[in-house]
Amino acid sequence: MTLHVLFKVADADYALPASEVLHMESFVGATRVPGTQPHVAGLVQIRSRVIPVVDLRARFCLPAVPNTLDSRVLVVKHSERVVGVLADSAREVLYIDTALFKPPPEIVVQQAAGYVTSVAQVGNRLIMLMDSRKVIGEEVLHGDH
Amino acid sequence: MAETFNREEFVAGYLAEAEEHLQLSGASLLRLEESLNKGEPQPRLVRELFRSLHTLKGLSAMVGIEPVVAISHEMETILRLADQSGSPLAARAIELLLAGLKAIEQRVRSFAKREPIPAAPKQLIQALTELVPVAGATLVRVQRLSLPAELQTKLSVSEKGQLAQGIGPNQRALRIDFTPTPERAARGLTITTVRERVGKIADIVKVLPGSVPKSADSPGGLVFTLLVVSAADDAQLAEAADIAADRLVIIAREAEPPYPPELPELEIVDEAPQSDSIRVSVKRLDDALESLSALVVSRFRLSRAVTRLRESGSDVRELTQLLNEHAREIRQLRTTITRARMVSMAQLLERVPMLVRGMSKSVGKQVRLKIDAGRAELDKGVAERIFPAILHLIRNAIDHAIELPAERERLGKPSEGTISITCFERADNRLELCIRDDGCGIDRVRVAKKANQPVPPDDATLLHLITRPGLSTQEVVNDRSGRGMGMDIVKRVAVDTLGGELQLTTQQGAGTAFTLRIPLSISILDSLSFLCGEQIFVVPLASVEEIVELGSANILRSPSPGKREVPISMLRRRDHDIPLVTLASLFKLQKIETQSAVVVMRDQQRFAFAVDKMLGQQEVVIRPLEDPLVKVPGVSGTTDLGDGRPTLVLDLLSLTSLMITPRQGARS
Repeated sequence: MTLHVLFKVADADYALPASEVLHMESFVGATRVPGTQPHVAGLVQIRSRVIPVVDLRARFCLPAVPNTLDSRVLVVKHSERVVGVLADSAREVLYIDTALFKPPPEIVVQQAAGYVTSVAQVGNRLIMLMDSRKVIGEEVLHGDH
Repeated sequence: MAETFNREEFVAGYLAEAEEHLQLSGASLLRLEESLNKGEPQPRLVRELFRSLHTLKGLSAMVGIEPVVAISHEMETILRLADQSGSPLAARAIELLLAGLKAIEQRVRSFAKREPIPAAPKQLIQALTELVPVAGATLVRVQRLSLPAELQTKLSVSEKGQLAQGIGPNQRALRIDFTPTPERAARGLTITTVRERVGKIADIVKVLPGSVPKSADSPGGLVFTLLVVSAADDAQLAEAADIAADRLVIIAREAEPPYPPELPELEIVDEAPQSDSIRVSVKRLDDALESLSALVVSRFRLSRAVTRLRESGSDVRELTQLLNEHAREIRQLRTTITRARMVSMAQLLERVPMLVRGMSKSVGKQVRLKIDAGRAELDKGVAERIFPAILHLIRNAIDHAIELPAERERLGKPSEGTISITCFERADNRLELCIRDDGCGIDRVRVAKKANQPVPPDDATLLHLITRPGLSTQEVVNDRSGRGMGMDIVKRVAVDTLGGELQLTTQQGAGTAFTLRIPLSISILDSLSFLCGEQIFVVPLASVEEIVELGSANILRSPSPGKREVPISMLRRRDHDIPLVTLASLFKLQKIETQSAVVVMRDQQRFAFAVDKMLGQQEVVIRPLEDPLVKVPGVSGTTDLGDGRPTLVLDLLSLTSLMITPRQGARS
């Protein structure tokens, strides 16, 4: 049983292992950085840190929606990088038996463009395990131009 | 001469040096006081203090601050005499020397602010001069004890002190060697009786038994050395000890004359600390950093040129290798310059003991300060910003946390409160600094009441509450258990400005600890802010050549050459045209109405960026952007203009590449 953070993007349920999520914050807009890729929502200052935020809707090529009070930034840490991912909402933490995660059906693989590594059926819900490393990009720090 | 002499620079140099010597002196004095309490004389400290004051006096004479010269001169005299006598400074002397330092500091401050400099305080000068003759016997006029080393080592510090302090008008310290013999014993002269006889006319400080080769004079091979202080004359003493008057040895006497008016200068030259460091103005280091930025820009262009070469099919392997090497060297250079700006925490905190002493005395509390700064270093810019916050936390601890001695005793605590400051460099390039007291802790119920908020359930919420700007000084300042005074300022500096963290742990009755985690270095620069497409940006002021109002400017909209995404116009000036792009179009932002243009200069060529509206000029702290997601040309970092949101810092110079690249591409 592993603790997972659940969140929603366009009414679909996604999960990240809680160990990857530092904390969650509400989202009140980001400072756009000109010249960045379209899925980079911009920069936010969270707990004295300035971090980039990846808009999951844009990343998943879903239509944009205005932010709501439910919008959440999940602050994710990968090696030295700390990046936020923007979801429509995030309300649950749940223990999920890792054995439940199965390779995703073909249709999901196509839609999610490799951002979903596996899928678990929990109750009547289908929960997709997101590959956060892929979502934030595998770029390394201190790369040379 | 008047033309070549730069007063400003000279004064700035003076102030920097004076500050340093004041700090050094303060630190030496406090250490002296400590060693005095422990009864260990510290001649080295006296000399260090003397040297600092002497330098300060010389410097002040050069800039013509007579009162400082006068005060430091008196202080110097005391120290010089103390050094020559080898006797410890009296508590009273330390008190006066501290007062002297404070008076000097005040006058140096007035000088810095170009205010009239108050004359040397008469009372203090008088007290200092009085100290010379009054304490003279003990403090001043004693020469070093002339005793062989093997005897010196057998004397305790206080015994040496007794010998030295016994000296006064007509009083001398002497050594009397009594050799017991059967013949003397027959006359009733043993060490016991001699001790009594000598004791009647002298103060016996110590009797040391010693051995000598057996001889006719000393058949027992034994000798007793009596060290005494006495006003009696040689004949009386010799008679009492039954020795020849010429066998008496004077080991110390009042100096003749009391103290030479022409005291030799202390060995300043010989003992000057060997130092391999020099004083450099921060401005020069900033200049170096700026040149480095230019280097980084040209390096960026170089790597783009190489990329184009590769795309055109050339073999660029060697170039690429060179570029990588070059990149590494630039990084090293940056590190080197950054390190040159670092000051040690130990040095930064040097003034704290003095301040704590003053603060605790003024509120009648006893505070012991423990500082463990280790080898941590901090950028000068960060140090300057964080120091007031550190002082704030210490002042709060003394004013509100540490209880009065009586209260502490009632609570079963040591009457002396303890404040400890520890810091170390963390692996993530941050400094962790902890200020801990063993005072009363923060009463969360009372704080909640003051703030009119529910009682905070944990320390984090409590911290949030006491750092609210709303919880102002007035209500809490007199409340011993509350602690809100200026905490919002501490948070603003540590968290908002420096991008650090602030943490609180407090336990009622047991104490409070504030932990700060702040970046070791930051870049600070003067910047211009402007609005562009409803977004605020800042640019380093140094990169801006001029600001042009576009309202009346003559702009030539040239037909777009080729398939350029962003149209370039020409800003017509009297003597030349400047290429002009609208920043909003370059950034694909909503263009409002461009009122002004920011002109930058690169390779002797001007480039103009049209922006919506200029906003103002301010000093900002720049945080680098490191994540690859947001590492884009033209954006060098972010800053917080006070709204809690990141504002982008632009590097317009590198954006000019976007303006000229297509043309270069067309040529190749």
